[in-house]
Amino acid sequence: MTDALIPAWFPAAVHVADMAILWYMFVVNSFFALLLALAAPQLFAHWRFGSEDVLARSLTSSAVPRVSILVAAHNESVSIVDSLRSLLTLQYPYYEVVLVNDGSTDDTLQRLHDAYDLYEVPPAVMRRLRTERVKAYYRSRTWSKLLVVDKHNGGKADSLNVALDAARFPYVLACDADTLIEPDALLRLARPFLFDQKIAAVGGTIRVVNSCTVDDGRVIDARVDGRWLSGIQTVEYLRAFLFGRLGWNLLGGNLIISGAFGLFRRDYLTEILGYATSTVTEDFELIVRLQRYLKEQRKPGKVVFIPDPVAWTEVPTSVAVFGRQRERWHRGLIATIVAHRAVLFNPRYGAMGLIAMPYFLIAELLAPLVEAIGLVITVLCTLAGVLAPGFALAFFATAYLFGTLLSLAAILMEEVSFHRYRRTSDTLRLVFFAFIEPFGYRQVTVYFRLKAFVRYLQGDHTWGRMKREGFGGAQPATTPEPSPAPPV
Amino acid sequence: MTFDALVVALAVEGVLILGSLLGLVLLRQHLTSRARAVDAGVCALEPALHGWLVHGSDVRQIVALLRAQTPYVAFRSVARLATPYLTFERQQILAPLLRDEAWVRDMLRHGQSRLWWRRFDAARLLSIVGGDADKVLIGALLNDRSPAVRLVAIDAAARLGGQLVAVELDGLPHRQDAVQAYQIAALARHPRPVAAALLPRLLPDAPPAALNAWIDASGALASPEALTRVRTLATHPRAEVRLHVARALRRHAEPDTVPVLLALLADGDWRVRAQAARALGALRARSATPALTVAVRDRSWWVRYRAALALAQIGGEAREALLVVTRGEDPLARDMSILVAGLSSAAVVEMSEV
Repeated sequence: MTDALIPAWFPAAVHVADMAILWYMFVVNSFFALLLALAAPQLFAHWRFGSEDVLARSLTSSAVPRVSILVAAHNESVSIVDSLRSLLTLQYPYYEVVLVNDGSTDDTLQRLHDAYDLYEVPPAVMRRLRTERVKAYYRSRTWSKLLVVDKHNGGKADSLNVALDAARFPYVLACDADTLIEPDALLRLARPFLFDQKIAAVGGTIRVVNSCTVDDGRVIDARVDGRWLSGIQTVEYLRAFLFGRLGWNLLGGNLIISGAFGLFRRDYLTEILGYATSTVTEDFELIVRLQRYLKEQRKPGKVVFIPDPVAWTEVPTSVAVFGRQRERWHRGLIATIVAHRAVLFNPRYGAMGLIAMPYFLIAELLAPLVEAIGLVITVLCTLAGVLAPGFALAFFATAYLFGTLLSLAAILMEEVSFHRYRRTSDTLRLVFFAFIEPFGYRQVTVYFRLKAFVRYLQGDHTWGRMKREGFGGAQPATTPEPSPAPPV
Repeated sequence: MTFDALVVALAVEGVLILGSLLGLVLLRQHLTSRARAVDAGVCALEPALHGWLVHGSDVRQIVALLRAQTPYVAFRSVARLATPYLTFERQQILAPLLRDEAWVRDMLRHGQSRLWWRRFDAARLLSIVGGDADKVLIGALLNDRSPAVRLVAIDAAARLGGQLVAVELDGLPHRQDAVQAYQIAALARHPRPVAAALLPRLLPDAPPAALNAWIDASGALASPEALTRVRTLATHPRAEVRLHVARALRRHAEPDTVPVLLALLADGDWRVRAQAARALGALRARSATPALTVAVRDRSWWVRYRAALALAQIGGEAREALLVVTRGEDPLARDMSILVAGLSSAAVVEMSEV
């Protein structure tokens, strides 16, 4: 390309754009560094607490809060019996499991009948939330902790709302039917209550189960998957949970508690009318709505994250499924931020309005746009001779190496604290994936996140088809009288 | 200028990445070697402890072994072995011998540290070696701002008994419910000194909030003396206190308790009735069958639920009575009895506990 083809203003415009992107990078990366700095001491404190046998003994006492575990299942015939068994055998003195069969078209319900000796019971449940029609309630003759609700298909959020209504206890733990919760995870999740914190919600860590050895619904050998896509996601999950969410504890509270593993105050969830059925990321939307409600009503309650209670989940191993997941997550993020735009930069909402929501807008929602624009401008202008190749190289290297540095910090934190991956080979794999993440994976992610903008503008509210490989291989019920809220 | 800044940033990132990698290697090595040192310390101490406990060998051997370790390893070894091995009486012998060791003094200095885990370590050590000279420090740790430290300090206080347990009991009403429950559970591990300190506090004119906490502690302790005193509070004018009484009495398997609970089953407050029904089931009170059969028709869901569970838990004629209700005309009682009658006996016990 010759100089004659490039207008005189163009190099200046490129310079301005590059400077803007550099400043964006600097601000966002500085914020990540701040999160890291805030997370490190908390991680140490949690690790110390979690590793003391005396405190572990105290946490198993009868003082723990009563918890209802809510599970939505739709066509989970293959894994439902095992998943449920792992939930029914958690180390926790007082809990129940409310499983909602969300209009499965396979034999999920029959399998539950066979495995747990179910019998139909009268609907002694106060229906507060509008949901799809419930067909029947079942209890198990062999597992008193289990309540099964059979209903017409209405989606995950709708099923969780039915489970929320049927729950007896003051705290509820929402989890996915295909999530493996570690036996002591619930005990660890209850730790903030010992610290006398006014809790609205508590989240724990989600780890990647791909390639781990799973026996009887339990992860008995944690491994890092050698395949690039799931391996990089393992690093990504470590980074997101070990310092991302921990850092937010000190910056006005978390705005994300994973839908696969989060403990909530039931009365608060009911007061905000439960999960929204119109969103594709009901977990993020729920927390934003909950935080907003707490601020508006001036109610006490923090949304905190603690790192050592662990649940394991399977991540996509094919680019197509991974893309659908990331596109959906980003579409949900856009929809939630648009829906709650009144919170943005609004001092009435404190740190949530001035720090957390702006962060999600600038550093998460806009990130793929900025990254794509930066990538395109830098490549094209370097080819056109407007930018020096040395500058372009330094630009990319600075941007991507910072991501690598954050990943290494997360791996370091994992090694110092929980050290779940015992083999040196697994640690080396994590380090390897931290280095290769910027090459290909990031660009693929940016592509699918950009696609989310298009689908959002088209008004798409569907989830998209998900494929799992497997582990180790609103009609109110005819209620005679509601049960009162506080169990006595 | 921009390029130079990028190069500087790149250089800093490079240094930090190399530092992280080096840190990863060094930390892994450090943590592994420290864990090995503690394991070795435990392995060395275990035979000496066993020799003293089983064969009556010289206890000073244990003291000498610990003296040879670093303070951290000595503390970790003792902390790991104390709970499974040392009875109260054995601790009384070992504690004075260890108390003046340099490593113990060193660790106990952390009792006033600004870092909670250091104070926690000091409290933990005091629960093993603490003596009369440490009462001031233990008293301070009982009121520590960290609940984790307070929980461990309870063990130290209970070991010395008397005044320190009283301090803890008097502090209970000022804690939030969840924290209070955890502290009561910790106190329940030391029934003798705690029951002795509770008895003079279980009086009708005690402040209700404090009385509730002390009644709960009596229930957690399941101390017959304390619960006999709790029984006398069943006619307390405050419903909240009667509720705690009914809840605690399910641990008091004495014939005189059943009439008291039957009276509470007719209480005006539904929470008291529900807890009384639960307690009667837990005590397997056959004589309560007629009253519980009436309670299954109560206007409160929870009373019906607890009464139906109690009938199922008592079994025999009581269960027959429940089955009769499943065919009765009262729709509320019928629904509840169907719900409970289908449960296995193990399930009934489990649901009654929660």
